[in-house]
Amino acid sequence: MAHGPRGPSSGSFTPVLLENPGAGLFAGYTPLPGAYDELFGRDGAPRPEFLRTATLLGALAPNEFARAQHLAELALLNQGVTFSVYADQRGAEKIFPLCLIPRMLSAADWAHMERGLEQRVRALGLFLDDVYGDQRILKEERVPRDLVLGSGQYLKQVHGLRPPGGVRIHIAGVDIIRDPAGTFRVLEDNLRTPSGVSYVLENRLISKRVLPHLLDKARVQRVDHYPARLAETLRSVSPASPSGTSAVVLTPGPYNSAYFEHSFLARTMGLELVQAPDLFVDQDQVFVRTTRGPRRVHVIYRRIDEAFLDPEAFRPDSLLGVRGLMRAYAAGNVALANAPGNGVADDKAVYPFVPEMIRYYLGEEPVLEQVPTYLCMRDDDRRYVLDHLDQLVVKAVDEAGGYGMLMGPQSTAAQRDEFRARIQATPRRYIAQHRIELSTSPTWDPTAKTAVPRRLDLRPYVLTGRDGSWVLPGGLTRVALVAGSYVVNSSQGGGSKDTWVLKGPGENAQRTPSVGAPGAGPAAVNNDPPGAAPGSDPPEAP
Amino acid sequence: MISRVADHCFWFGRYLERTENMARILAVTQNLALDAEIPTQQCWLPVIIVAGQKAHFGAEHGEEAAADGELVQRYMSFDEDNPTSLRSSISAARWNARSIREVVSLEVWETVNELHLWVNSEEAREEFRSSRYAFYRRVRQLTQLCLGLTQSTMLNDTPLDFIWLGVLLERVGQTARTLDVHHHALTNLPPPPPSEMSAQAQGALRRQHRVVETALWLSLLRACSGFEPFMKLNQGQVSEQAVAQFLLYEPRFPRSIRHCVHAAFARLCEIRPPDSVALPGGESLERLQLLHQWVADRATEAFDPMAVHAALTHVVDETAMICDGIGRELLGYGPPDSNPTVTSQ
Repeated sequence: MAHGPRGPSSGSFTPVLLENPGAGLFAGYTPLPGAYDELFGRDGAPRPEFLRTATLLGALAPNEFARAQHLAELALLNQGVTFSVYADQRGAEKIFPLCLIPRMLSAADWAHMERGLEQRVRALGLFLDDVYGDQRILKEERVPRDLVLGSGQYLKQVHGLRPPGGVRIHIAGVDIIRDPAGTFRVLEDNLRTPSGVSYVLENRLISKRVLPHLLDKARVQRVDHYPARLAETLRSVSPASPSGTSAVVLTPGPYNSAYFEHSFLARTMGLELVQAPDLFVDQDQVFVRTTRGPRRVHVIYRRIDEAFLDPEAFRPDSLLGVRGLMRAYAAGNVALANAPGNGVADDKAVYPFVPEMIRYYLGEEPVLEQVPTYLCMRDDDRRYVLDHLDQLVVKAVDEAGGYGMLMGPQSTAAQRDEFRARIQATPRRYIAQHRIELSTSPTWDPTAKTAVPRRLDLRPYVLTGRDGSWVLPGGLTRVALVAGSYVVNSSQGGGSKDTWVLKGPGENAQRTPSVGAPGAGPAAVNNDPPGAAPGSDPPEAP
Repeated sequence: MISRVADHCFWFGRYLERTENMARILAVTQNLALDAEIPTQQCWLPVIIVAGQKAHFGAEHGEEAAADGELVQRYMSFDEDNPTSLRSSISAARWNARSIREVVSLEVWETVNELHLWVNSEEAREEFRSSRYAFYRRVRQLTQLCLGLTQSTMLNDTPLDFIWLGVLLERVGQTARTLDVHHHALTNLPPPPPSEMSAQAQGALRRQHRVVETALWLSLLRACSGFEPFMKLNQGQVSEQAVAQFLLYEPRFPRSIRHCVHAAFARLCEIRPPDSVALPGGESLERLQLLHQWVADRATEAFDPMAVHAALTHVVDETAMICDGIGRELLGYGPPDSNPTVTSQ
């Protein structure tokens, strides 16, 4: 594949095969004791399914890799692939650091993951239908009633409402870790406005640009059709006909930390990006203000919190939002993705009951494991947690992004005392888990100019439309860039990696071809460098 | 198209044009200050006046400081408190583009983002120190690249019309103000030589006067990128009347007021066709059409040098009113909570 040079921000990169492979990228790489390494087995050799790619990667000279890494970071900066830092008053934008060494997933592992994710999101969707409907699962006491209805995320305003198209979790981002035995475990469900997918797509563009030869030989499943899939998902739940549907992406605006992603998704889907003041409701219908007067809107992919969606329904004190939006939603005149009220299912205190939901609604055994969890609202659990604070990770159920956490084994006595008091004051707000040793993957250390093991997690994305679910192959791999750190959040100094899901034997094309709906298909992704073949699968290696 | 998005397009165009124009004026004035035998304050103060920063600059540094060309250049290039400095304008252009990242093409965005990153870099400071010419040239090239890319990589659709409506209306104002300031400076040159001087001395002063005047007119033409087109049309005959007439009325020159008003009117007709009486924008269209007619009428009349200032004032005021009207009618500058009446679905 010829990727033409494109100014200082790109330039493809030809691997230089070293005469002495021991001096390459993985020279002296030692997996972390007690952790599962994604690339290397316990014997120190690459895992068989990744042998070919690991050998090619390992043949890179550190200096050449450093250059490639630099090009990648420059490209991200020049393209403005950034997130905003709230703490910075001047609205500084930073790139989400990317480590060019990819995280790889085998075809078999991925097939297992896909099955598990699809099952989980299906059960969670049925749970939400039930909670906002008959509440069977609560009546039968399979999940504690008080726990669910007492959640700060339970929205009684949407009780009894059936969302247009019947879907509630259009976009799910499920955080998954891998324990020392190599078992995938769900850590958290994100069913409100999960973010990060734009980095998955941008990271792949960078890999294609900087490491084309490697990507070519590794036989990696493509990701660039996500926006077309998402647009199709949104259209599928429209109250209007798909061709007559006007869908928009709703953002809080350029100051939001995820603004890059909002505009990325709007751009790659060919949809308009709107802010709340651009919209208004008249006779329970939503309109966007245009230079030619008002125009109807049927589907809103909203990336603002539901508390700020409609001052009439949620926060009368807030000037943000679209007055009357929830009335239009209740009337079935506009679809909102994701549906308001989903937070009751991704509440960290509800999480321990998801396997029970899978059994209850689907009559199946869960495919994916979870992390054993103590609920501080339960007396026995709380007693255990308070006695073992130094061994547990405590999380507030209503905070995200790595905030409101106690990492017991690394905590000070003062921090533990503080959390003890907090837990005793509001036990419903806290859960605790044993710390799971996260898996690691070789990660570039710019100072030592070599690959070192760093802990990571994975956030796959599941799209659900009227006709079922689809999982984007791979997802966002977040990596703790600091030695010894367990925190992978972008807001806490983490970085990301491109996630390479390898194709199975004989898997030449995508299993599910992308559809030819207007605006769909590879042509919707238009930011490939000239010379690259946008949307095409890399040619197969023999 | 969404009104807020149209607003960002409009201002994106205006800030790009403002950046390019200011970089050109700074480069030209630096050149003029080296050649023309006129006091440096007379060279640099007009730059600050054209930028509309006389009061702010005076408060910060005192008006006499305009004699310090280096200070003026730093002020107009990097000063963060000066909203018209190159850095401020670039930052504003980039902010508008970022706010409509899904509307401008990737190439346009990358170019304005790179310009913003560069002008804030140590590399740019170093270039400013070591090669002033190269610094202004780079700003101009990247800005022009950006404007060119809008035309070659974006749909010929409403967003592009709004970007160029912004460029053109900004250009009308810039050309008018630049011409007006120069015209003013020239009418304030030292008075003609007193009659008791010897004929020889009178002749020498007049020649010197003419040299200075010609240098200023040439610099004005360069500041408007009009030197070569002017020379082609006037075969090297430089006079106040010819230059003013050229910048005001020459329909073939892309920065003349007549050309820009005409082109802006054509863009607005695309955005809001004259026969679409139900659509918003009618008042602005009418007002722009009147200005267009006004300029065209004067272009065919005998040129009156004494009326130049009044004509330019009319153009600047009308352009400001038209921009206000476009803001109210098309860009959603109305009171925040008013819902427009639903006219169509």
